[in-house]
Amino acid sequence: MPHFKIVCYSLVALFALAFGGCAPSTANKPEMTAAKSATTPTAPGGSGKGEGERGTASESSTAPGSLEALQKGQSSGTPASSPLKDVFFEFDRYDLRTDARETLKVNAEWLKRNPAARIEIEGHCDSRGTNEYNLALGAKRAQAAKDYLANLGIPAERLSTISYGAEIPVCKEQTESCWSQNRRARFVVIAGKPAS
Amino acid sequence: MIEKIVSIGCFLLLSACPALAQFKGEIVGQGGQKFPIAVSPLKNTGTAPDSGKLSEGIADAIVHDLDLSGWFKVLDRSAYIENPQRSGITLGSFDFQDWSTIGAEGLVKGGFSVQGEDVTVELRLFDVFQNKERIGKRYVGRVKDFRRIAHKFADEIINEFTGIPGIFNTRIAYVSTSGGRFKEIHVSHLDGSEKFQVTNNHTINLSPSWTPDGKSVLYTSYKDRSPSLYLFELYSGKEVKWSSKTGRYLGGKVSPDGQYVAATLEAAGNTNLYLLDRNGNVVRRLTEDAGIEVSPSWSPDGRQLVFVSDRSGSPQLYIMDLASGKSRRLTYSGNYNTAPEWSPKGDKIAYTGRVGNRFAIFTIGSEGGDPRKLTSESADSEDPTWSPDGRFIAFSSNRGGKYQLYVMQASGDNQRRLTGSGGDDTKPSWSPRLD
Repeated sequence: MPHFKIVCYSLVALFALAFGGCAPSTANKPEMTAAKSATTPTAPGGSGKGEGERGTASESSTAPGSLEALQKGQSSGTPASSPLKDVFFEFDRYDLRTDARETLKVNAEWLKRNPAARIEIEGHCDSRGTNEYNLALGAKRAQAAKDYLANLGIPAERLSTISYGAEIPVCKEQTESCWSQNRRARFVVIAGKPAS
Repeated sequence: MIEKIVSIGCFLLLSACPALAQFKGEIVGQGGQKFPIAVSPLKNTGTAPDSGKLSEGIADAIVHDLDLSGWFKVLDRSAYIENPQRSGITLGSFDFQDWSTIGAEGLVKGGFSVQGEDVTVELRLFDVFQNKERIGKRYVGRVKDFRRIAHKFADEIINEFTGIPGIFNTRIAYVSTSGGRFKEIHVSHLDGSEKFQVTNNHTINLSPSWTPDGKSVLYTSYKDRSPSLYLFELYSGKEVKWSSKTGRYLGGKVSPDGQYVAATLEAAGNTNLYLLDRNGNVVRRLTEDAGIEVSPSWSPDGRQLVFVSDRSGSPQLYIMDLASGKSRRLTYSGNYNTAPEWSPKGDKIAYTGRVGNRFAIFTIGSEGGDPRKLTSESADSEDPTWSPDGRFIAFSSNRGGKYQLYVMQASGDNQRRLTGSGGDDTKPSWSPRLD
């Protein structure tokens, strides 16, 4: 019986992924009313709450920006050791999911402990759809993350944004699990790296 | 003569054909079969050897174009009876029966003569059925440009049959990763020849489009880290950068009169449309929206823009009248309609629409109405661009695995692959007709 239950839940999760991924955003979108954010699974690298609190702010907060990584032929994925975690979005949406807000709170705590750090927030999209629309969508995602951090008390002048649209993916498979990893806002320390 | 021209044009276009209808069965057959035509390798009429392989090269380029049009059935060269180097190329100097025997109704023959780096090419179109010459043209050009001569003659053939010149002396600008992992802007002829790499900056380069004179390409690049618009003049290599103090340009399109650019500018997460002059200065802001407003495309008369907005909750196409500033919604079916391009005739708009988990090319009347899906959702097809005569649409598709460029008739018929660079080829933009 337990096995049977697990299968059922997996199917439900798959269903949520398959259909949740298609729904347009509710933020600023009056025609759409279905809120999907509470039920969606956390994408890899989601809200790793404990990692940012280990007092190891100096470690690996220096992952390069995605464009620099692309130029060097490196992955634009955020290392697991990074204290600033990616936040993830649904397809064609830029409202913050519950798990994204939790992650942003953790990121904000790190920024408060490292007041000299300035970060660039990158907005990314999955590969589907049109390049220019995705550039605009990525800008929306980066701005949503920035606004949330600012509301948590991080001075806006420490936060800049850039959209890479669908241009710098962390994976290229045409699967929902890959797409969900690419629909992200990423946080790159660009100045005032922590001294501690 | 005129009657005959009209009649064949009618056969090809399947429209009403009052005169000479008795030929219809023999020329196009039941249900409008393609017009059978033979394209002979050219005769070397000069004294210099054919070191550039012009004899077959010119014929191959014409065959490529006629095949791409979808209106002709080009007969296989292995079936040809006569030896092109021995037979003549003018009326009376060859035997039409050599061609009618193999089923050809039309025949292209020609000759060339090389003088140093220059070549003189004579090309003729014959009506095999009536034993008549229909077109005769002489071209002088550089040997290396021989394909351009072939494309010009193919355009003449299309003109003879349909009354409107072909579109084969044109180029496509597109984004390609053929050089590795970077998206760079490339330009090539439809047959992949005369390939030219516009950018090589090892960053991200996107959304190329042409100026109406066909001399420059406008594109978006991250080469200075933040996205900006760049206008690159192909012949001189001169480039101008347009950036904004208040935001970042994500894309733009030059107006049909070449005087303005409709640009998308992102500021504080919101993307809006702006009208710029040819120096990149803002003339006025076109949209005031807290959402996404992108991908403007001009109507042929320059009075309206079709663009993408998510103001309704999902990306849909809208049309703005520039004089009044008022917009109306164009698309209502589907929840993801993007990348519009207005047809050169002005009557239709092609765009990318989402169908289930796939993307397909659609057209819709510029006054609205039922959208027509032109590509299958067994793969993704995106980013349509019209030929300058409005009779064809090029697009990118991953139906062969990687993204490659394809062309089809505007009806969706006769879908053919254009490129195979080894990388992903996307975002085609079809040039105006070239000189």
